[in-house]
Amino acid sequence: MNKLTTLSLALGSAFILLASCSKNNDVVTPETSKLTTKTVADLDGSTTNVYYSLSTGTQITGADTATNKWDIKFKGTSIFVNSGTSGIGTTQAQIVSSTFEALTVAPTADYKTDASGTPAISGWYTYTNTTEPQHAILTVPGKIIVVKTSDGKYAKLEIISYYKGNPNTTTAEFANLATRPASRFFTFRFAYQGDGTTSFK
Amino acid sequence: MRLKFILYILISHISLQITYAQQRDTLKKDTANARQLKEVVVTGTRTPKSLQQVPIPVTRITADEIKKKGLVRLNEVLSEQTGMTILDDPHGQGIQIQGFDPAYTMILIDGLPLIGRNTGILELSRITTNNIDRIEIVKGPTSSLYGSEAMAGVVNIITSDPVKGVSAGLSTRYGTNKTADISLNSAYKSDKFYISGFANRYSSGGYTLQPSSGLPTVSPFEGYTLNAKSSYKIDAKTTIKLSVRYYTNDQDSKYLVDNRYAGGTGTEKDFNIAPVITHRFNDKLLSTLQLYRSTYKTNSDVRYTDDQSVYDQTYFNQTFNRAELQNDYTLRDNLKLTAGAGGQYESVEATRYEKLQSFTSGYGYFQADWLPVKKLDIIAGGRYDVHSVYKSQFSPKLAASYALSPKFTLLSSLGKGYKAPDFRQLYLNFTNAEVGYSVFGYEEAAAGIARLQQQGQIESILIDPSTLQRLNAESSTAFNLGYRYKPNSKLYWTANLFRNNITNLIETAPIAIKTNGQSVFSYFNLNKVYTQGAETDLTYQLLKPLQVGGGFQYLEAYDQDVLDQIAAGKVFTKDPVTNLTKEIKRSDYGGLLGRSKYTYNIRVNYLDEKTGVNASIRAIYRGRYGYKDADGNGIVNRDDEYTKGYFLVNASLSKPFLKDALRIQLTSQNLLNYKDSQVILNLPGRLIYAGIIYNFNKTN
Repeated sequence: MNKLTTLSLALGSAFILLASCSKNNDVVTPETSKLTTKTVADLDGSTTNVYYSLSTGTQITGADTATNKWDIKFKGTSIFVNSGTSGIGTTQAQIVSSTFEALTVAPTADYKTDASGTPAISGWYTYTNTTEPQHAILTVPGKIIVVKTSDGKYAKLEIISYYKGNPNTTTAEFANLATRPASRFFTFRFAYQGDGTTSFK
Repeated sequence: MRLKFILYILISHISLQITYAQQRDTLKKDTANARQLKEVVVTGTRTPKSLQQVPIPVTRITADEIKKKGLVRLNEVLSEQTGMTILDDPHGQGIQIQGFDPAYTMILIDGLPLIGRNTGILELSRITTNNIDRIEIVKGPTSSLYGSEAMAGVVNIITSDPVKGVSAGLSTRYGTNKTADISLNSAYKSDKFYISGFANRYSSGGYTLQPSSGLPTVSPFEGYTLNAKSSYKIDAKTTIKLSVRYYTNDQDSKYLVDNRYAGGTGTEKDFNIAPVITHRFNDKLLSTLQLYRSTYKTNSDVRYTDDQSVYDQTYFNQTFNRAELQNDYTLRDNLKLTAGAGGQYESVEATRYEKLQSFTSGYGYFQADWLPVKKLDIIAGGRYDVHSVYKSQFSPKLAASYALSPKFTLLSSLGKGYKAPDFRQLYLNFTNAEVGYSVFGYEEAAAGIARLQQQGQIESILIDPSTLQRLNAESSTAFNLGYRYKPNSKLYWTANLFRNNITNLIETAPIAIKTNGQSVFSYFNLNKVYTQGAETDLTYQLLKPLQVGGGFQYLEAYDQDVLDQIAAGKVFTKDPVTNLTKEIKRSDYGGLLGRSKYTYNIRVNYLDEKTGVNASIRAIYRGRYGYKDADGNGIVNRDDEYTKGYFLVNASLSKPFLKDALRIQLTSQNLLNYKDSQVILNLPGRLIYAGIIYNFNKTN
């Protein structure tokens, strides 16, 4: 009985530790890990395609968009990776069913490059058509995009919102097309592992 | 010995007396009569059986109850029953029983199945209740007697037999949305012969829940039902009977397609003919030979209003033919055997099928009704169906009732039900012209894919059609446990617990991707679901003129695969405030779409003996139910994926004149004017009707 109590206490505290780790990634990361996490709010893709580098955590513009400096590109509801039909790089991606926090190790296989008609990233949103809220692009839960960048680094990414200001999509205000915030404003969070391992801890 | 014969005679005699009483004194006496007489039901066992004794859940609704409530169509009647919900679906108003979709309830008229379903739904407003004696509803699988489709239950509409002499009647109801229901009937009956005719016209101007759109939610329609029945007693032992029913309905339609208006008319025709001969060979053996032919046809022509070019032209012709022989044999006083066999031929020809498709099937069924001791009634039976296209099915059933006292009966039953793959699931060949996806029935998949490949329309094949598993019937195993309590003539209380395990549910899944990015779908035996719950209903004569009642159902309906996925931590949602993914817990899962966890009803009826004035008011509550998936995980879990729960209040007031030959009635449905124009399209708001019923009967 005592042993059991001790064991469950130990397990319990281990769990709490783990949980607090994932909440404060940038604080408690082990020294060897080069994990950076970032939430990008309202990346404006409403007028042009937007190119983004996960390693630098910045938008890529101008002549650099023709290089392998960017990893992902937002074009309307399509998200491309820098490879195949989309770019000169060798960036690959796949979608993993998980919460962002629970995905602690990137898969080692099954990454895809972009090809005509079959992009590496798809299925991250649904279009509501005529069901309420009508004609909305809603992000699908549990679709975590795992990216293997051109220089072989791993990142995980969750698309949070397609609308400016990351609105609550269950409100009447959002359902009303007249008051719905502008679309093609991407809010997403990602964790980039700079040490080249598959670990997201 | 002769018991069965006597019982049989008694039953037919009793039911005649009830009808006769109704004719003279429609409402006053029947309540008392019905309580005193042994109520008889036939649907649960295909033999006449006392309602108190029959070991499976059966509800019996008399014409009298229906008249008191001012109801005229089957959907109106069923929507007020405990444990039954009329679903809102663009393909029609169908019934949900024990959490099953409408496709799993068989609808019978005088024991014979109606055909003509639109994606599984048989439109219940097709059926008038003006010419009926009663409705019997059996809950739980009844495939052991009726075969495919009788998985959730059976609704049997029993038409009325005429009273002796010459009789005639007129019944009308008119009100909101120019909805009119007019019935005429006349009959002649002598000792050996009767003939009766019935005509009904049901029409409506339709309604819209979105007035600004200029488009109807329900378009105007005009339907007719004609029904004739005749019976002749050749001798004391042999009777022949013929019934013919014809139904036709025209409905306008109007749509907006890519900013162009399109409109047209759809016609629906339903024809049934059923000759039957019964012969009593001796005290012990009664044989019934029944022939039945039913046809169902629809035709629709929709054109663009601007240039009259065709938007959609479709037709659908279905036939159903059956010959069946049933023998009821009384082996001993306490052991009755029923055995039957039949053959069926069905066909369908439609726009969405390659060619005329047909099924042939044969079946045999057997039932033993045994009372080892007086208090215990055991029914064991089964049916074996052999089919030309899908695997043979065996549907056994075992049921028992035990009378703890003459007032209290316990009942329990265990049985299997099945639903065969329908024509659509086997033979559909359909490509959506606007969106561009294709759907092929199982039998058409290989040819359909090959054709599309030849046309260069296939980008990639996901599942090779030659490896497709043969489509099997959907099947269920069900358990029901309940009681009936009738301590005196004032109180009647029933309760039932149920559980249905359903496997091999047929669903669509993609088998190929087309070059236009759309999918090609076919049908698969995929899901495993279960439904379970409890139901109770109580009627109590509180004061002499005042009867109160109420019913309640608790229902759970879950997809087993989803539950497994949730247990594995593979189902997610988005927090509506932060839009971040989180894991779904078991308690978040709302179950299958369209199932309310809680439904209940409260009924009050007041009948003033002196004046004959009858007032009836019923409140029906349907608890919230999931109607969509908003967060993209394919299941119902978030509050915004549910409708609101709502009350419907229906009321009726009537007064008889001229010694009850004439009755004037005022009826309202949805008195509180509840509407949900976004989600619930079959609720037009408050409806007010006025009605007149006149009956005439001359015995000599």
